[in-house]
Amino acid sequence: MDWFGAADGGPMVATRAIHFAATAIVTGTLVFQAVVANPALRSQEAAAKPFRTQTRYVAWISLAVAVISGLAWVLLLTMSLSDESLGEAITSGALRDVLNLTQFGSVSQIRLALAILLAFCLAFERSAFWRWLGLGAAVGLIASIAWTGHAASTPHKLGYLHLGADVLHLTAAAAWIGGLVPLALLLGAGKHHQGRAGLELDVVRRFSALGIASVATLILSGIINAWILVGSFHALVITGYGQLLMLKLAVFAAMLAFAAINRLSLMPRLALPSADTQQDALRGLSRNTLIEIGFGLFLFAVVGVLGTLHPAAHLVQ
Amino acid sequence: MRLLSLIAVIPLLFLFATGEVGAHAFLDHAEPRVGNKVAAPPREVTLWFTQKLEPAFSTVTVTNAAGERVDTGKARVSGTQMAVSLRPVGGGTYHVNWRVLSVDTHTTNGNFTFQVGQ
Repeated sequence: MDWFGAADGGPMVATRAIHFAATAIVTGTLVFQAVVANPALRSQEAAAKPFRTQTRYVAWISLAVAVISGLAWVLLLTMSLSDESLGEAITSGALRDVLNLTQFGSVSQIRLALAILLAFCLAFERSAFWRWLGLGAAVGLIASIAWTGHAASTPHKLGYLHLGADVLHLTAAAAWIGGLVPLALLLGAGKHHQGRAGLELDVVRRFSALGIASVATLILSGIINAWILVGSFHALVITGYGQLLMLKLAVFAAMLAFAAINRLSLMPRLALPSADTQQDALRGLSRNTLIEIGFGLFLFAVVGVLGTLHPAAHLVQ
Repeated sequence: MRLLSLIAVIPLLFLFATGEVGAHAFLDHAEPRVGNKVAAPPREVTLWFTQKLEPAFSTVTVTNAAGERVDTGKARVSGTQMAVSLRPVGGGTYHVNWRVLSVDTHTTNGNFTFQVGQ
């Protein structure tokens, strides 16, 4: 089983993984701002200003990487379908055909429009209208990936269920894993400022609630996706797709373990009166968040491979 | 540790999950049927796939025993179905070669034969 060579080659796998990660980070950052940071920092203007500057950089950089990797994805697919070099694929009309005659091409154009809209929203984010529109565009950018993958080709009424589950899965993954990046920035800033434990506690509590909702959504939608794409325990065990999915589940479980430690052990210590205990808890939370980000990036790499493999279900029918 | 307990449940759910659905476009069935013998020459060959197809990148050709094309060229694709009309043909063995792109951008291909005659 050549997982990392996959059907479409290493560059395609890497491009997809980078695109998923970058899109999740820009979406997760905006979700974090709306649900966690803005309510928590409402009366903390001194802490809010540098955080907003940092997250603005994160959003812009991840959006730029998402756009570039999205364009590379279109070009690599065109080269693969036409069996032509990059120059030939552009000049021969193959790129035009992929863009205009396939669902992937149409969805890619819509997603590029969403990315441009999101860029405008980031540029004018001082207005609440643009912030909420930007959040909508970012969620659209991650959710629309569902129409480019396995869920898009599932026929009949089951296809609607598969697409719905995939939309929820992608959005929840972005909210949780993407949101870890601004969380790490905020916790990192807190390490250098005594007396901010109240703010950090509020932030971690809010993010924990967001994380629980995201994890519940990921598990439910993941079960639906696995039922459609894997189909049975037998297929999960004997196919490369199934084995890679089990690796994904193992990494997911490790992330959950860290999340549980954060919520059940470290978060309560932020509420204790001792400044030293608070700082220790903050350091632990920062470290665990960075580890979770590492696991999350690995998950996106696995997803990059999974999408290029033949799913297990039909291989064992 | 309630969240951790959820992890243990996931593999159990797979145990109970059984499905008969697939992914990627593989041939589900065809008319004339794969490997079958039909009495009268068919006017077209129709293939049904397990997944939705991209019309612009899905093709099918039908050739006779001598390797000559007997289809009229352009395949008609709708959803999971692809059909191609045939020119008037006589008895013998015919080869159907298909290559399709599913909406999830994966290419698959295959072939089968059918026979015409009593």
